[in-house]
Amino acid sequence: MTSSPPLVLDDPATADRRRSPLGRELAILAAVAACLFLMPYVVDDYALQVGYLILQLAALATAWNLLAGYTGLVSLGSAAFVGIGTYTMAMLDERAAPVWFAIIAAGVVAAVFAAVVSPAMFRLRGLYFTIGTLALAEALRMWMVNARTFNGAAGIYLTGRPPAFYQLYWLVLVAAIGATAVVVVILRRPLALRLNAVRDDEDVAAEMGVRVFRAKLVAFAVSGSLMGIIGAVQALNTRVVVPNGAFGLTWTVNIVLVALIGGLGTRTGPWIGAVFAILLQESLRGYPEIHLAITGAVLLLVIRFAPSGIGGAMADGRRRLARVWRTRS
Amino acid sequence: MGIAAIDVGAIAQAASTGLLLGGIYALSALGLSLVLGVMRLVNLVHGEVTVLGAYLGLLALSTFGLDPLLALPLVFVVVGLAALPVHRLVLAPLAGRGEEAALLTTFALAVIMQNLYIQWFTGDTRAITRPYSRSTIEVLGLRLPGVYLMGFAISLGCTIAVYALMTRSGFGRRLRAGAEDPMAAGVVGVDVGRVHAQTFALGAGLAAMGGVLLGLAFSFTPTSGTAFLLVGFAIVVVGGLGSVAGTFIGGTMLGVLQSLGALMFGDGYRGFIGLVLFLLVLALRPNGLFGRTAAT
Repeated sequence: MTSSPPLVLDDPATADRRRSPLGRELAILAAVAACLFLMPYVVDDYALQVGYLILQLAALATAWNLLAGYTGLVSLGSAAFVGIGTYTMAMLDERAAPVWFAIIAAGVVAAVFAAVVSPAMFRLRGLYFTIGTLALAEALRMWMVNARTFNGAAGIYLTGRPPAFYQLYWLVLVAAIGATAVVVVILRRPLALRLNAVRDDEDVAAEMGVRVFRAKLVAFAVSGSLMGIIGAVQALNTRVVVPNGAFGLTWTVNIVLVALIGGLGTRTGPWIGAVFAILLQESLRGYPEIHLAITGAVLLLVIRFAPSGIGGAMADGRRRLARVWRTRS
Repeated sequence: MGIAAIDVGAIAQAASTGLLLGGIYALSALGLSLVLGVMRLVNLVHGEVTVLGAYLGLLALSTFGLDPLLALPLVFVVVGLAALPVHRLVLAPLAGRGEEAALLTTFALAVIMQNLYIQWFTGDTRAITRPYSRSTIEVLGLRLPGVYLMGFAISLGCTIAVYALMTRSGFGRRLRAGAEDPMAAGVVGVDVGRVHAQTFALGAGLAAMGGVLLGLAFSFTPTSGTAFLLVGFAIVVVGGLGSVAGTFIGGTMLGVLQSLGALMFGDGYRGFIGLVLFLLVLALRPNGLFGRTAAT
């Protein structure tokens, strides 16, 4: 099988690499973070809940974007990493570990899982990787439901002192900003070129001297550990951890919807997608099925008419407008 | 294991029930295999089309009083025809845009259909129950559920029909040519786009018929599609991509292994065993799968 062509050929993130220095990008990110940090002092509880959901999805979609958008590994196994993070938090809560330690441990365990399954998963190329990751995540969920080791389908209750909701909001904010910062920094490193080379043509990349397995593993592990961290924060939020929730396919589906609608291979895409999906969800409260069906239909249209997502289409529009402006003046 | 004595009778019982169940699984998987082999499309909406078949079987019974088994040809035709505009409007325009665009489009279709099912049919667990659903037939000392035997026979009959279609008809020749080398097939006058549309329709029709049989044999929910899809992929991988006979044999193998596994570890592990088998075959011989393409 020849490796499949990338979904996004023109990568806006790498295209305007030279325009703004890394320091300025990180400064913008820090400014956004500071504004969002102050939210709990300004908005009501409901708005904070919505903010939590947006940041959670933005972080997850950013992590998935690193894998699918920049490395070309379209994974349907995200739920596995979220679930592993969730259960790591639950297990460490039982042992009364500090929250910060449990969150970091969740990221580490998820990265280790990525490393352990990578020899098998990376033998699968293109579409087979996609179904392979789906099968892996579903197998893990079914095992967690049946095995007694982690209390099966009944799950685990967190007994540690529950953090206040604004603290959870801050945790998920740090995760989302951190995930984006990781991607922004990676895009400035030679690693980004290796990842893109693997995405565009694995065989050619290997011939050019890229260590394909290692490049893929870095993306898989970094993306997985970010998802694990979000899973850990989610465990603190729900307080009860069950396999069908923590390892549920819903995670995978939402991540893919948000990342693709926002724009694969763009830095702002996951954020735009998360805002879009959660605002649509909140405006259709009480009709979750209709919300998801509409989101699916939007994805159909985006793939067909705006392959680089809403974010990509907006960047295109901005560039076109700038060109018109220049020719006029 | 802590089993005192190996119960040969129980093993034979589980193996034969699994064989029949696997044959039932194989019908839906056959559609998945054809679409993957001919169109190179990982059709993530296949499980939802299978569930659609189950709901149509249920509706045929509740609305028209029509026995789901008698409604099978109707379900095949209706779903096959409904698949044609979906291919025309949604998938065909993506030709030349790479495999991922088509894959993610079927993902979007699956999300849409699954949520429409919940909206229309509620999330309740359903099962198609007929007088013959609970009857068992005794063969050589084994008690076999009648509905499994009928489903197995129907699935085998459909598989033979598809095999004949592939090997004896003009459509089959064009389909095999399109699968082997789309460019060369186009040069010698095969309308590859049309072959793809027909293959997609055939795949959907087979999935829906498989869904009726699965609805008779099991209970199902609006979200059963993912499980059906993964079982289908496991069968395709075990049986060999695009092979009609291989798919049926792969189905029976998977069914037997699942039932024996359920006997050993507990019924909850049925699905888990299928997925582990799938991952093992996929990881151990990934290249063996891509080599075989001809639908024979």
